[in-house]
Amino acid sequence: MMAEQLYMFLPESCYLLMAAALFALSLPRRQSHRRIYAWALALSLLGVAGAAAALAARGEMFFTAYRVDLFSQVFKLLLAVATFLVITICGDLAGVEERYHPEFFLFLTTCTLGMMLLISAVELMTIYLSLELSSFSLYLLVPLRRGDNIDVEAGVKYLFIGVTASCVMLFGMSYIFGAVHSTYLSEIMDKLPLWIHQPAAAVGLLLTLSGFFFKLAVFPFHFWAPDVYQGAANQVTAYIATASKAAAVALLIRLTSLTAGTSLYLIDVLMVLCVASMFLGNLVAMVQSDLKRMLAYSSVAHAGYVMMGVLTMTRLGYAASVFYAMAYLVMNFAAFMVVVKVAGEGQDLKIADLAGLHRRAPLMALTLMMALFSLAGIPPTVGFTGKFMVFTAAMEDGRFWLVLVGMINATISLYYYLMVIKAAYLAEPADGQEPLAISASTRALSYALIAGMVYLGVFPQHFLGLAENAVKNIF
Amino acid sequence: MNSLNTYLFMALLLFCIGLLGLLKRRSLIGMLISVELMLNAAGLNFMAFNRFLAPDPAVGQVMVLFIMGIAAAEAAIALSLILALFRKIRSVNVEQARQLKG
Repeated sequence: MMAEQLYMFLPESCYLLMAAALFALSLPRRQSHRRIYAWALALSLLGVAGAAAALAARGEMFFTAYRVDLFSQVFKLLLAVATFLVITICGDLAGVEERYHPEFFLFLTTCTLGMMLLISAVELMTIYLSLELSSFSLYLLVPLRRGDNIDVEAGVKYLFIGVTASCVMLFGMSYIFGAVHSTYLSEIMDKLPLWIHQPAAAVGLLLTLSGFFFKLAVFPFHFWAPDVYQGAANQVTAYIATASKAAAVALLIRLTSLTAGTSLYLIDVLMVLCVASMFLGNLVAMVQSDLKRMLAYSSVAHAGYVMMGVLTMTRLGYAASVFYAMAYLVMNFAAFMVVVKVAGEGQDLKIADLAGLHRRAPLMALTLMMALFSLAGIPPTVGFTGKFMVFTAAMEDGRFWLVLVGMINATISLYYYLMVIKAAYLAEPADGQEPLAISASTRALSYALIAGMVYLGVFPQHFLGLAENAVKNIF
Repeated sequence: MNSLNTYLFMALLLFCIGLLGLLKRRSLIGMLISVELMLNAAGLNFMAFNRFLAPDPAVGQVMVLFIMGIAAAEAAIALSLILALFRKIRSVNVEQARQLKG
C-alpha cells in the first residue's frame, strides 16, 4: 500500500526533493553558479525520469482530492520535460544577478511542483492552493532580473493581474459550491449538468475558468503577457511561455468537461474569447519591434487556437488541444532557446538585432526559422499538424465559421513570423558583430529540437493516440 | 432563504467595491487592500452557502481558513514587491511606473 502510494506520488516527490536540495544550496553566503547549475540539471533530469516512470500510475490519494490517471501523468511528463529544457538553457544565466541564482532554481522547482499538483487536483480547494503555489513562485521569479527597473514593474503588474484573476476564480468557485454543495469535481460533474441552466452555476463556472484564462493569456486576461515577457529574464519568459501554458490547458480541459457540453451559453462565451484572442494577438503582434513582446502576442493568438479545441467539448477536440499544447511547448521553447543564446548578456532582443544571424550563427538561424514556421503552421512541422487537428475537431463539431476565422488568423500570423525570418536571413549583420560561439550541448539541443518538430509533424499518430487515451480518463 | 440572499448580496457588493477600487486606485497599497476585499467577498460567500445550504458544515469553514492563509502569503509577496519598486522609483504610485508600454 505504502509503496503504491509512493509510486503514484513519484514525480511530485522528485520535485519536493529537488526543492529541498536547492533550498539547502541557497543557504551558504557564497555559491558558485556552476555547482548549483549542475545540481539543478541533475535533479531536473531525475524529475523527468520520475515522471516517465510514473506514467503508468493510476489511483486516488488524499481523500480522493487528488487523482492520478493517464491524463495527469502525460501532462506531468510534459511539465518535467519543459522544466528540464528550461534549466538546460540556464547555463550562464547572465540576466539574473549572481547572488539570486539559487533562489532562481528554487522558485522554478516550486512552480513546477505547484503545477504538477494542480494537474492532478480534482477538488476546488486543492486546485486553488496548487495554482497559488505555482503563481506565487512565478511572481517572485519575474522581478529577479538584473539591471533596470522594468523587471520590478513587470513583476508588480503580473502580481496584481494574477491576484485579481485568482480572486475572480475563487468567487466563481464559491458560486459552484453554492450550487452543488460540494468541492469535489466528481460530484460537481454529476450535479452540474442539472444546475447549469441556473445563471449562478454558469456564471460561477465561467468565473472559475478565468483563473486559467489568465495563465493561458486568453483575451480579457492577456494584459500582463507582453510586459511580463519583456520584463522578465529570458529564461523565466521561456518557462512562462512553455510550462505554465501546458498546465493551464490541462485545467481548462478538466473544468470545461464538467458541463459535458450541456451549456450552450458557456460554449458561446468561450467562442467569443477564442476569436477575440486570435485576432487581438495576431494583429497587435504585427507592430511589435521587440522579439519577446511579439512572441507574447503570438502566445495570445495561440491560446485562441487551443481554445478552439477545448470549446468543442468533444473527445476529439480535447485530444487535439492536448496535442497542440505538446506542439506549442516544443516549438515555443525552440524559439526562446534562440532568444536566450543570441542575447548573450541577457538583454532584450529587438527583431532588428537578429540581422545577419545566418552568418553569425547558422544553426541558431535555422532553429529559429523552423520554430517560427512551426508557430505559423507550415507543413511538415508540428505546428501544422497541431492546427490541422484542432481545425478538424472544430469542423467535425460543425463550426465552419470558427475554422474560417482560424485560417484567416493563421495567414495573418505568417506576416510577422516571416518578418523575423527576413531579419535573420536576408539582412546583413551590423558592422563589428562577431560570430556567436555556440557550445556543443546547444548544438545538440538545436538538432534535437529541429528533429523533434519535424518528427512530431510527420508522424503524430503515436502522440495523438497518447493524447486521445489521456482525455478518455476525464469523462 | 431571505437571509442567505442578504449575505450573497453583501458579498457581491464587497466584490464589486474591491474590483472598482482596484481599477480606480493609483496607489499600490490601495490596490492591495482592494484585492483583500475581493478575497474576503469570496470567503463570505463560502460561509453563507455553508451555513444555509451545505450538508457538511465544515467544508466552507476550512475553505475560508485556507483563503485567509493564502491572503497573508499574497500580502507578504505583494508588499515585498512594492518595497522593491519603491526603492527604485521612490513612489508607490502606478502612474510613476511607466516604462513598460502594455
